[in-house]
Amino acid sequence: MAQVRAFDVVTAPQILPAERPRGSTLGRFIRKKPLGAAGGFLVLVLVATALLAGVLATHDPVRTSGTVLVAPGADHWLGTDNLGRDLYSRIVHGSRISLLVGLASTLMGTVVGGLIGLLSGYAGGKTDLLSQRVMDIMQALPILVLALVLAAALGPSLTNAIVAISIPIVPRAARIIRASVLAIRELTYVESARALGARHVRVALRHILPNTMGPFIVLATAQLGGSILVEAALSFLGLGIPEPYPSWGRMLSIAAAEYAEKAPWLVIWPGLAISLAVFGTNLLGDALRDTLDPRLRGS
Amino acid sequence: MRAIALALLLAASLVVGLTLPAPAQAPKYGGVLTIHPLTAPPSLSPHEESTIATVQQVSACYSNLVYFDPPKRQESLETVIPELAEKWSWQDNYRNLVFLLRRDVKWHDGKPFTSRDVKHTFDMVRGAADADAKLRINPRKLWYENVEAIEAPDPHTVVFRLKRPQPSLLLLLASGYSPIYPAHVPLADLKTTCVGTGPYKLKEYRPGEFVEYVKNPDYFVKGRPYLDGVKWIYIKDRSTQIAALQAGQLEVAGSGWNKANAETAKKGKPELIVTENDSNVNDNVLVNFKRAPLNDARVRRAINLALDRKAYLVGPRLGAATFGGAMQPRPTGVWGLPPAEVATLPGMGDPVKQKAEARTLLAAAGFGAGNPMKLTVSTRALSIYVDTASWMVDQLRQVGIDAVLEQIETGVWHPKMTRLDFQVALNLTGTAVDDPDAMLFENFRCGSQRNFSGYCSEEIDRLMVEQSQTLDRAKRLRLVNEIDRKLQADGARLILGWGKQYAVHWPRVKAYPQHENSIFNVSRFQDTWLDK
Amino acid sequence: MRGYVTKRLLIAVVTLVGMSMVIFVLMRLAPGNIVDILFESAGYVDQADKKQLERELGVDRPLVVQYARWMGEVARGDLGKSYRYDMPAWKIIKPRLPVTLELAFLALLFSILLGVPFGVLSAARQDRPLDYVLRVLSLAGLSMPAFWLGMIIILVFVRSLGWMPSITYVSPFVDLKANLWQFAVPALAVGYRSSALIMRITRSAMLEVLREDYIRTAWAKGQRGTLVVWRHALKNASLPVITVVGIEFAFLIGGLVVTETVFNLPGVARYLVDAIQLRDYPVVQNLTMFIAIVVVLANLAVDLLYAWADPRIKYGKA
Repeated sequence: MAQVRAFDVVTAPQILPAERPRGSTLGRFIRKKPLGAAGGFLVLVLVATALLAGVLATHDPVRTSGTVLVAPGADHWLGTDNLGRDLYSRIVHGSRISLLVGLASTLMGTVVGGLIGLLSGYAGGKTDLLSQRVMDIMQALPILVLALVLAAALGPSLTNAIVAISIPIVPRAARIIRASVLAIRELTYVESARALGARHVRVALRHILPNTMGPFIVLATAQLGGSILVEAALSFLGLGIPEPYPSWGRMLSIAAAEYAEKAPWLVIWPGLAISLAVFGTNLLGDALRDTLDPRLRGS
Repeated sequence: MRAIALALLLAASLVVGLTLPAPAQAPKYGGVLTIHPLTAPPSLSPHEESTIATVQQVSACYSNLVYFDPPKRQESLETVIPELAEKWSWQDNYRNLVFLLRRDVKWHDGKPFTSRDVKHTFDMVRGAADADAKLRINPRKLWYENVEAIEAPDPHTVVFRLKRPQPSLLLLLASGYSPIYPAHVPLADLKTTCVGTGPYKLKEYRPGEFVEYVKNPDYFVKGRPYLDGVKWIYIKDRSTQIAALQAGQLEVAGSGWNKANAETAKKGKPELIVTENDSNVNDNVLVNFKRAPLNDARVRRAINLALDRKAYLVGPRLGAATFGGAMQPRPTGVWGLPPAEVATLPGMGDPVKQKAEARTLLAAAGFGAGNPMKLTVSTRALSIYVDTASWMVDQLRQVGIDAVLEQIETGVWHPKMTRLDFQVALNLTGTAVDDPDAMLFENFRCGSQRNFSGYCSEEIDRLMVEQSQTLDRAKRLRLVNEIDRKLQADGARLILGWGKQYAVHWPRVKAYPQHENSIFNVSRFQDTWLDK
Repeated sequence: MRGYVTKRLLIAVVTLVGMSMVIFVLMRLAPGNIVDILFESAGYVDQADKKQLERELGVDRPLVVQYARWMGEVARGDLGKSYRYDMPAWKIIKPRLPVTLELAFLALLFSILLGVPFGVLSAARQDRPLDYVLRVLSLAGLSMPAFWLGMIIILVFVRSLGWMPSITYVSPFVDLKANLWQFAVPALAVGYRSSALIMRITRSAMLEVLREDYIRTAWAKGQRGTLVVWRHALKNASLPVITVVGIEFAFLIGGLVVTETVFNLPGVARYLVDAIQLRDYPVVQNLTMFIAIVVVLANLAVDLLYAWADPRIKYGKA
């Protein structure tokens, strides 16, 4: 006997059609959500570039030389900067940093926030109230300002940048996960599991956690783009990733500001790289959100 | 007979008339000079700051006892002219300096200027026990440690009594860092306002935005200044600075610009005038003498050899720099090492050979492929430093040193340096006056607060004091060169190069001063005018 | 209703107090204090002088004492003194406020003028080519770093089109035309990104409303595109939009920071960045606190508006 579980309505993908679907899941996704597929492709390119940076780059991204401020050409596909470093290779290697910082801070932020949200939603009562207020406090400040102050306090370094960027994500993650938890907690089958004597942790892990995966994935994808943007802004203001790591944001702050007139390629390409990476994650995130929870579409 | 004489006279006057230079254009009155500074000033009080940003933006308001003559490009004892002091004379074999002051000077608030103001200012700066004011922060106390006492026997005479002869004292007093403060204005006020005796009065100061001056109608030099006002406007973005200059919203820019910026500005508006000059600002590398392995002379020399100066010229400097030792190189600098000798300094020769030599030295010191030397290059978290430091890291890696860059926040930089909490650090040093007394004591004397390397040599200390008292110029030059030679051999500070300064302005700006061996002493604008 | 309002007010106050503690601690985490900065521009540090200065400025008192003093100032509305510039912070901030307010207002105006119509259009032509194009454009706006957009705009406008407004601020009361010339492009730069968010919210809110039964009935009856239907849809969609505008504010401030820097507008946001880099504690603390207060108040206002409009809260338990 087929059991229609209550939570299917809340978090299930679109109702399966009666007949067997044509093509694979991937094919269906591409056809139904072409924008999302395009986004996914961009993200794939980003990941591939990051993984294969050593192979794809034409020069050493850190090696300085005498050929300064050279326009794009055969030798240097995207030109060189004011220290004679090849821009294309720096952008290729920069993808590593952007992806690393974006992933690490998103993961850190969503996991920490998710745990807090899980705890808060499940435990309820005073714990919930307290953690809600703390989340309110963290969320009241604009992301950039909070990250700025944090980065200034902690100093410019890779780890500090990751921490600074992940903190504003925590309240957002907590909020979303908590909402999911609250929706699921009341459902009958959970109560029956409890009645049957299952311990809290087991209930949390087996029943609640898997069902928050949907919103979690959506959140993580959306935040990835946000993290990359915040890192860029921090580096632009001088507080992000320090040398020698080639960071897209810092490429824009140093060389671009000084030499924008003489070498516009220094401004155009790193910014384009950032925009495309974030664009891809946003498109993908949108499509995933639409697929995994139609109710949350567009919000 | 008379006709021949007349004809000869006519011919003679024609020849004379043709060979004489055309009479200079008569300066016009009026107009406001809008000019872009290095950066927004931290405060308006030069005695409490060590940055050109403050000095350049308040020089219009203050006066010194003596100053450097604006049109003379190379500053030296010969170009010192009177300002608040009408006459001066050395007495007792350069042990006493007597100034006779002008009698017709008024402060911007109307009060009369007297010798009391001079005594007040310099007792304060030298930290005299009985000074009537104390500076909270006093960067140039060291300059006046040779002053025993300052006397003001009458309202228009001041006497500096020195412990030992010091001919350079006059130069220190002529620097933009040595204006006279009013004794009747509280010191705290002078950080945010300016009460001076200069050609311009402060109109408005908006921190981070602009400093605006208006003509002082009671300036003690009659008929000056020509301009109606001077306005220093700060724009953060370089492109916008260039665009503003090209659009005519700025008359002068270029403070802190590099060659590429100047070229870009001119390319857009060919009628702009670009002047490139040597400056007394150098990039140098501080080496922490007290930390292993940098206390090993071989390691220090290896680092020096690894830094290819020609590559430094092309890369971080974009082709605009000169090379020398601790004193600004000749011919624009007065005290530099002979050029032939400069060419033999480490880092100046064939990079391949020098890098190989560096590797050999490092190997002798116990480092090599299996045991690379780990080195942290510290620098300030500002783009001009970071660029050069990145270049440096790359050079060091090419000789097998495992170098990484450490960016240090502004507020932490000097405490860290003072505590000797670093290995090597990329630094910038600008000297207010091209004089050994200003340059050497501060940076190389044992225990000086700005001797960030922890370098200490009794012999050098002794030579420094000796050169300061030497009256014979030629002998003094020899002594200074000897000190410089030793400093370079010891690797006290590795001098990468001396930068150039740029000023880009419209042709209608006339008599805009630029000196070859200082950027600090030219911003009074008492003779500048606009041809509009 | 009253219970709801009181509860929200209490939450707002608690949030603000919590924020103040976080801000206070954060500023103290930084290595080096204001005295180090003051010595910085002098080029050296003298330990004896430093201790003296710390005592003068009260920086050597225990943290709790410093915090209490600061809270007292906040309660009095005193913005404190800038250690860096040695003048009251209010004196520095006052001339900068109109700049930031004007920029924020114009940016918000642009974002609504662009976002709402495009959101409606996008919802009306859902999944058709126009919808896709608009969604891509708006998402592109959200994906670009604000400062990069500013740089590109400067490159294009200044270099190619010769747009060169006054480099010093011109008040709208002195010369309105020059002022608008100065603010138009930066406001557009900030507004474009904000409009993307508004467009997306408007679109989704409209879609929700359009799906409701009575609308579908009207359409089925052939009343498609009648003004009544559209007006009704818009009215019901407006509430979520207003909510977003409130949250937008926080988003906007981030954009203002970089835009003021890039376009050289002497506003409060740019001053905040300068103050952070200069470790000017009082200014950073007070400005950040000020921003937090504004944001919390904006959220509170939106909450109250929501409460007034949503009958479930008005009449029932919430």
